Amino acid sequence: MIALLQLAAKQLLRHRLRTILTVCGVASGMFLFTAVETLQQSLGEATEASAADTTLVVYRENRFCPMTSQLPEYYADEIRRIDGVREVIPIKISVNNCGASLDVITFRGVPEGLLQKFAPEIEIIEGGEGEWLKRGDAALVGEQFAKRRGLSPGDKFDAVGITVYVAGIIRSPFPQDNNVAYVKLEFLQQASKTGLGIVTQFNVRVKKAADLKPVAEAIDERFKSDQKPTNTRPEKAFFAETAGQLIELIGFTRWLGLAAVIAVVTLVANAISLMVRSRVKENAVLRTLGYPSRAIMFLVLSEGGLLGMMGGLVGAGLAWSFLRWQSFTMGSEGHTLAILPQVSTALFAIVAALLLGIIASVHPALVAIRQPIVKSLRS
Amino acid sequence: MISCKSISKSYRKGPNLVTPLEDLNLEVARGEFLALMGPSGSGKTTLLNLISGIDSPTAGSLKIDGEDIASFSRKELTHWRARKVGYIFQLYHLIPVLTALENVELPLLITSLTRAERKEKAEAALKIVGLEDRSHHTPNELSGGQEQRVAIARALVSDPALLVADEPTGDLDRESASKILDLLKSLSSEHGKTIVMVTHDARAAAAADRTLHLEKGQLLENEPSYSNS
Repeated sequence: MIALLQLAAKQLLRHRLRTILTVCGVASGMFLFTAVETLQQSLGEATEASAADTTLVVYRENRFCPMTSQLPEYYADEIRRIDGVREVIPIKISVNNCGASLDVITFRGVPEGLLQKFAPEIEIIEGGEGEWLKRGDAALVGEQFAKRRGLSPGDKFDAVGITVYVAGIIRSPFPQDNNVAYVKLEFLQQASKTGLGIVTQFNVRVKKAADLKPVAEAIDERFKSDQKPTNTRPEKAFFAETAGQLIELIGFTRWLGLAAVIAVVTLVANAISLMVRSRVKENAVLRTLGYPSRAIMFLVLSEGGLLGMMGGLVGAGLAWSFLRWQSFTMGSEGHTLAILPQVSTALFAIVAALLLGIIASVHPALVAIRQPIVKSLRS
Repeated sequence: MISCKSISKSYRKGPNLVTPLEDLNLEVARGEFLALMGPSGSGKTTLLNLISGIDSPTAGSLKIDGEDIASFSRKELTHWRARKVGYIFQLYHLIPVLTALENVELPLLITSLTRAERKEKAEAALKIVGLEDRSHHTPNELSGGQEQRVAIARALVSDPALLVADEPTGDLDRESASKILDLLKSLSSEHGKTIVMVTHDARAAAAADRTLHLEKGQLLENEPSYSNS
């Protein structure tokens, strides 16, 4: 079998230009496929994995952008008094763009000393906690954000009209947290000119999952007649809703992925059909030498599979490297989505390309074995 | 070795039934070198195809080495060809991206032999045809005569008892043709191979132990007077 695989690989070298062009075509398709798969996987991670099951998000009613969700900070004390509430963290969020964008800069303002409670999973990988605690304008910057902007501890940078000092670089298991900068709430309130006492949202931890619904209802009921009514949802639902536009946009990219798959199948099928047509006599010679139909099929399918796999390796490899290098952040209505490719996604694309190559070669392979030997030798 | 009894071959071509061979009887002894001559369309290549098992007769019995291959299924015929027959084509049909050694190795790729065993057998076959020093050359680095010798080595490599050759010298100059015929003669006389060769060339036929003439699908008792091409 290995010897037949080697023979198939050598046969591909006979028409180098055709092979190179086919591999390039497959690579383009698999680049697109890998990019689409990465988008889908990034969205899945952001809306499912990161959502804690005992956290509620309190937002301003009928507002979906952090810029327009303004709630009084004193609501925190009122919320804390509701039965079932374990903890309340007021958060201020500033973004450079509330619409759909590929370069979102997000500042999260968290009360001094509460960062560890808000995001216990983050780890400082560069710089230290000292500067963060000491300086009012200190920021802990997500590692992807820092990489994209070329930031190191000790640097200063301006964004969203705010100038901050990079106290450290952080890493989080949640990709979107690697694309934001954490600052102190009071500093962000002053710097963003919304003033002290105004926050974007409250993150509320309840005592148990069963408390989510009654606590959410109680919060909204409490502020229903207030000047700034609230809308409280579990964090998972909040993510899903704010990411609605992204889901729609990314849902559309499924069609691009399907188009890429069809393009790959068509390209390989065309290349293998041409190859089978140009080697009618040669296949007949192999069958005269005693090659059974399954060996001829194996040869043709191997050539298709090899073309697919080579294209997959190039396309998925390039897409993976490109997306890693660019570390795009997609944003919509303040929700950030880090588009980070996983090795598993690239491997999936390569295996998919291999299978597509084999599937595309089935018909040409059947054509190759069905032609009568005598007729083929005369052709 | 070969026993054809009342074999016929016919096929449909449009509305007509074509019968290139009809009620043909032939006996070939083991180790014999037989030449088949005849004008185009006389049925000699059809007979060669039947003897080599790449086609089946529509009637009659065709026994080779005691096996009635006329009754074989397609799968059985494929298996039989791999073990029992070596085919030599007029235009060699070597694979251009493979070296002489790799081309000779081709029939062995579908066997259970190890890589080393395959190499050893292919080298031995190349030695028989006198091309052991050209084993790493690709077909485009070889002359026509050398290519045909590689093709003969490929036919020999599985050590079949029967070799069939379809105008093996038809595409070669006189000197190369003569060397190929000498090689075929020695394969028959020294290695005991039974050879059936189709040719248009009387000089090539003269190298065989016996020459039979075919015309309109029938073997002729006497040698006809058509000219050689």
